[in-house]
Amino acid sequence: MSVEHRFLVRELKLVLARPGDFFKPMWFLILVISMVPLALSPDSKLLGEIGSAMIWVATLLALLLNADQLFRDDFVDGVLEQWLFFNRPLFWLVILKLFCHWLFYVVPLILVTPLAGMMLSVPNDVMIALLVTLLLATPALTCFSALGAALTLGTARSGILGVLVMLPLFVPVIILAAGVLTRASDGSDILPLLALLGAFSIAAATLLPLAVGVALRLNIGGSS
Amino acid sequence: MGWRWFHEWGSPKWFYDRAGRWQRVCGFLALALLLVGTLWGLGFAPADYQQGNSYRIIYLHVPVAFLAQALYVAMAVCAIVLFVWKMKLADVGMQALAVVGFGFTVLALFSGSIWGKPTWGTYWVWDARLTSMLILGFLYLGLIGLRSAIQNPDLAGKACAILVLVGVVNLPIIKYSVEWWSALHQPASFKLTEKPAMPASMWVPLLINLLGYYLVAAYLVLASMRTVILDRERGSAWVREVIERD
Repeated sequence: MSVEHRFLVRELKLVLARPGDFFKPMWFLILVISMVPLALSPDSKLLGEIGSAMIWVATLLALLLNADQLFRDDFVDGVLEQWLFFNRPLFWLVILKLFCHWLFYVVPLILVTPLAGMMLSVPNDVMIALLVTLLLATPALTCFSALGAALTLGTARSGILGVLVMLPLFVPVIILAAGVLTRASDGSDILPLLALLGAFSIAAATLLPLAVGVALRLNIGGSS
Repeated sequence: MGWRWFHEWGSPKWFYDRAGRWQRVCGFLALALLLVGTLWGLGFAPADYQQGNSYRIIYLHVPVAFLAQALYVAMAVCAIVLFVWKMKLADVGMQALAVVGFGFTVLALFSGSIWGKPTWGTYWVWDARLTSMLILGFLYLGLIGLRSAIQNPDLAGKACAILVLVGVVNLPIIKYSVEWWSALHQPASFKLTEKPAMPASMWVPLLINLLGYYLVAAYLVLASMRTVILDRERGSAWVREVIERD
């Protein structure tokens, strides 16, 4: 088996070993969404108008729930140190890790959002646009939160810090996604904005793993 | 050209002594320029035909907002120097710049909202410039938080350098996206009243103040760098000498 194959199998086993981490973000998302009508008003017209934005923000927060854990366990039990001895560049392993995280934690969360959309009576065409923006934007978001997690790895109790440090950098993604949703709700062309969003994700997914690799190497060196 | 300067700049003691002298020069020059610029701007420059006298906060707001962004770029230069030449002084500079930069950002937002009240009728609007300034403030705050969370100073410096560099690549993207977003959401109702090109009697004091605040920033950064150096080198003999001498 190649390194990549074993890597993916191990990540899958880890997900299966901790079903709690898998379900918690979805639970959080649905819970937050059910608070919205309670806090605002049960009026379905009003909810439909702001629903997509609420779902976006709630999904973003749900994503961040697991972000801090991205490298922590592997760091504590020494697996990260082993990464340095693979005959693969560190950034490639980071890409694999982030891809697994995205596939196993983020995509399932996105698949739950239509349920949240029904709860807030978001129109169908907006919901489809929402799903596409989430799928296109989350690779970038995953990479940014991974950098936050990697930078705060050396701190004793990082908790929310990695998130606080990285959230300002999410701004372009959120703005583009919000632009898509606005256009989807008034029926204009969303493809150009989706293309920009995809471009941002591709740039983030290719460049940020390098920075994450440097940050991980710092922490591995610092701990030994 | 020899490499002597490189070793000199690598020596904290040498820099500490030198920076003390530069700090004094910056302080006096800043005081002189700000005195001239502010008195001229507040007392003698003509009033704006639309905003009356309330525009005069420009002599604080514009230089401060300008510096808030310039200091981030300076920090990015320090980050590159730290990565390429492993110069510890660059890390000290980064630490000082983050704090001073955050201060200038807060001051820019604060003076902006004071200016906003008479001009726009509100302290805060989600205008492109205000928003990107707010994000810049959060970036500075993140750097301060990250550094204070990591115990090992070497590690903290390099982690901050990564964050600064990722941030500096992102800043233009953030700026343009926020501008685009603001254009999307609101028509030009809340734009600063477009003035016809300022007369010289308005912009000359502004320029003087801009230089003055640059020197203030230099003064603050140098002062803060010297404090950081004393803190980091607190175990060494020369620091004890300095503290006993002063």
